[in-house]
Amino acid sequence: MKKLAVVAAVVVVTLVLVGSAFAAGQAQTNTGCGLGTMLFKGSADNSVLLQTFQATTNGIYGNQTFGITTGTSDCQQPKNFANNERLNEFMVANMDNLARDIAQGRGETLDAFAELLQVPAEKRTEFYGQLQSGFARIFTSPGVQMASVMDNISTVSTK
Amino acid sequence: MASRSRVFFSQRLTQACRTLRSACFFICLLLCASFPAGSAAAADGPSDAYLGELQRLAREKGLARARTWEVLLHYKPAGSGIKSLVDDPRFFNAPDGSRNPEAELFATLAAFFQEGVKEDEEHPRCRFIARYTWLHEQLSIDEQRLPKASCAKFEKALAAVNPRSVVLVFPNTLINLPSSMFGHTLLRINTQYESDLLSHAVNYAAITGDSLGLFYVFKGIFGFYHGRFSNLPYYEKVQEYNDLEHRDIWEYHLNLTPDEAYRVFLHIWEMKEFYANYYFFDQNCSFNLLFLIEAGRPSLRLTDEFYGKIHFWVIPVDTVRAAKKFGIIERVTYRPSRATKILRIASDMDSGLKDMSKAIVRGERKPASVLTEDLTVEQKREVLDLAAELTQSRFSGRKLEQELYQKQFLDVLAARSILGTPPADPYPIATPTPPDQGHLSSRVRTGGGYRTGSWFTELEWRPAYHDITDLDEGYVRGAQINFMDMSFRYYFDEDKLRLHRWHVIDIVSFSPWNGIFKPISWKVNAGVEELLLADGKEHPVPRLNAGGGLTAGVGDTGRAYLLAEADLNASTRLDKDYALGFGGTAGLMTNLTKDWKMNLWAQGLFYSAGDEHRSLAAGLQQNLRFTTNTSLSLDVKREQTFNIYKTDIVMRGNWYY
Repeated sequence: MKKLAVVAAVVVVTLVLVGSAFAAGQAQTNTGCGLGTMLFKGSADNSVLLQTFQATTNGIYGNQTFGITTGTSDCQQPKNFANNERLNEFMVANMDNLARDIAQGRGETLDAFAELLQVPAEKRTEFYGQLQSGFARIFTSPGVQMASVMDNISTVSTK
Repeated sequence: MASRSRVFFSQRLTQACRTLRSACFFICLLLCASFPAGSAAAADGPSDAYLGELQRLAREKGLARARTWEVLLHYKPAGSGIKSLVDDPRFFNAPDGSRNPEAELFATLAAFFQEGVKEDEEHPRCRFIARYTWLHEQLSIDEQRLPKASCAKFEKALAAVNPRSVVLVFPNTLINLPSSMFGHTLLRINTQYESDLLSHAVNYAAITGDSLGLFYVFKGIFGFYHGRFSNLPYYEKVQEYNDLEHRDIWEYHLNLTPDEAYRVFLHIWEMKEFYANYYFFDQNCSFNLLFLIEAGRPSLRLTDEFYGKIHFWVIPVDTVRAAKKFGIIERVTYRPSRATKILRIASDMDSGLKDMSKAIVRGERKPASVLTEDLTVEQKREVLDLAAELTQSRFSGRKLEQELYQKQFLDVLAARSILGTPPADPYPIATPTPPDQGHLSSRVRTGGGYRTGSWFTELEWRPAYHDITDLDEGYVRGAQINFMDMSFRYYFDEDKLRLHRWHVIDIVSFSPWNGIFKPISWKVNAGVEELLLADGKEHPVPRLNAGGGLTAGVGDTGRAYLLAEADLNASTRLDKDYALGFGGTAGLMTNLTKDWKMNLWAQGLFYSAGDEHRSLAAGLQQNLRFTTNTSLSLDVKREQTFNIYKTDIVMRGNWYY
């Protein structure tokens, strides 16, 4: 009986381990409108156990849709920009990395943001400088939301 | 109505028979035999005549046997016939469409004549847009003679995605994330934007629902989940892999033309609603992506590199190699993970500066106080840039509450924003060897040697993937995943072939402490192994071994490790049929030259339950590389078990294939 238990334990553990070795990726839902939302959602269930189980399926939860846009209807909409769903979405999903790039004056997220705003290449250095020096007026408080950030950006920049 | 209930019935049938595929096939055959193949529209009329004309023309041109049709329907040889790998019955217009390409072609043409659609439903011409586009070209279909159909949803998606080119994306493995070990692949569709972040990521994954249970793993392996494609902004995937999971990303830019990229998109659209059963060994994420690339350029036979081969598994990096073999990789770009960036920033800083960053991250120091320190502006930037990355990393690792994170992150950035912009990227990261350029995934080795008292020859086969004695280029240093590794030995004095070792799984993670990250090192190993027992002979023993500990970096390539471990052996030859022991392993692995690697190790195990005994061993492993895929290894080992001493010397030639 004991032998059987040992063998069974070995088999189960082995299968779990085999399972844990193959590729996986966990898709995140993206909701919320402030700093840390994206990462928080992503790490909400980042336990090793879950990852181990997920491994066999490259699993994702629920029915991830084939949406081209995920929508930002939960968030307050910015006033000073023409209603641009793609821009709003980008802002919500990338606010943390964008804040970092603005503070550092450069970066890929900032480049993408400028492209969405259609800031011409020759004006970007100036634009980035305005955002960097206006950092404190853009990100006014830790709980600042997407709409305010967008509106503040339009205030501090000539764009 | 009849066709609708038929579809429904066959759908139920498919679900019921999923485990009994052959039986299901038989029943389906019976079922389908009672319906004529390619049933055209019932009503007589001019459209009926046109349909007949198109079907005749399609038959004349042999379109049902065309390569493009095979690709679009995912047909593969099965027994004496063919079968589609798509399991969703709704993917087919003909009841026997999954096995009969011509019936499917005729029924698809018939479906294009469908009058009107229900609300929230797409017309077959839109749903099967890739098939329609191709047949339209091949048959010069006159749209005026078809009923009207508008593909508003598709047009909107096409405008949003605007496909220009295609990139095969490979997020690398991260050894301490068990689920990432073999990597993963997804496809990126570049749009009109210059920024890669604004492109679209197409991912294939199993839909698992929320429940985790005992059978989760079994379901994943044996095809009980449905695999589907999904589409996300690329920045979400970059955040997931680079920022959250700390995995480097490799981007293989394919030379597909804009028109071919458009065809890839058409096929993605066509696949979006349908599932194929997800089998994690073979019909997995990486395999299914290859169909998308084939849809762009049907002359590429990428899936045939894997399908029906003795190799029944598909390792993500091997799909990259297949793409390379067909000459479609134009260039490679590297997207370092947050961890890589953090270590790069820290590499320029002395410990005093790093301590400043760490104090900020722990909340013990105000970020603004750095500004008044007696430091150069570059140093101040480094301190705050490192603090910003570490703050994000701590938050995503759930070591920081969201409110604290928001405040600390903004305080760091506000201080940093005062320090201006460096003229160029201050932390450029050199591109390491891309994963496709490492040794190939499978290994055969043969050799021979001496074990106290007898000479032997040995043959070993390891289907996948990398161990700590293999040279590391293209792999993660200190990471080992051996899967189904088995070896046989022939001892001359016994004249007998013996199973020497069969490691179902053998994983080692030696990731070093580096002053920033403090990862746990661990190993786990399960299988059957020949062990020296009390009778002085070797016997195959089922064995489970696991341990945890720490690793320190030694120079650029060295890793010194120390692990505590537990070892469980089960055999009727053992007293009480088992032995459970505890002990540890210590060692040092390092490159002596670029092509010469060694691992010096010692292990002690003290079995205190079951058959009580002691096993001590020490050894040196060396591996000398001649080419990427050939090497010579020499292993020496001395052990004392049940107070019996044995010495092993083995020399082997290694071939990676």
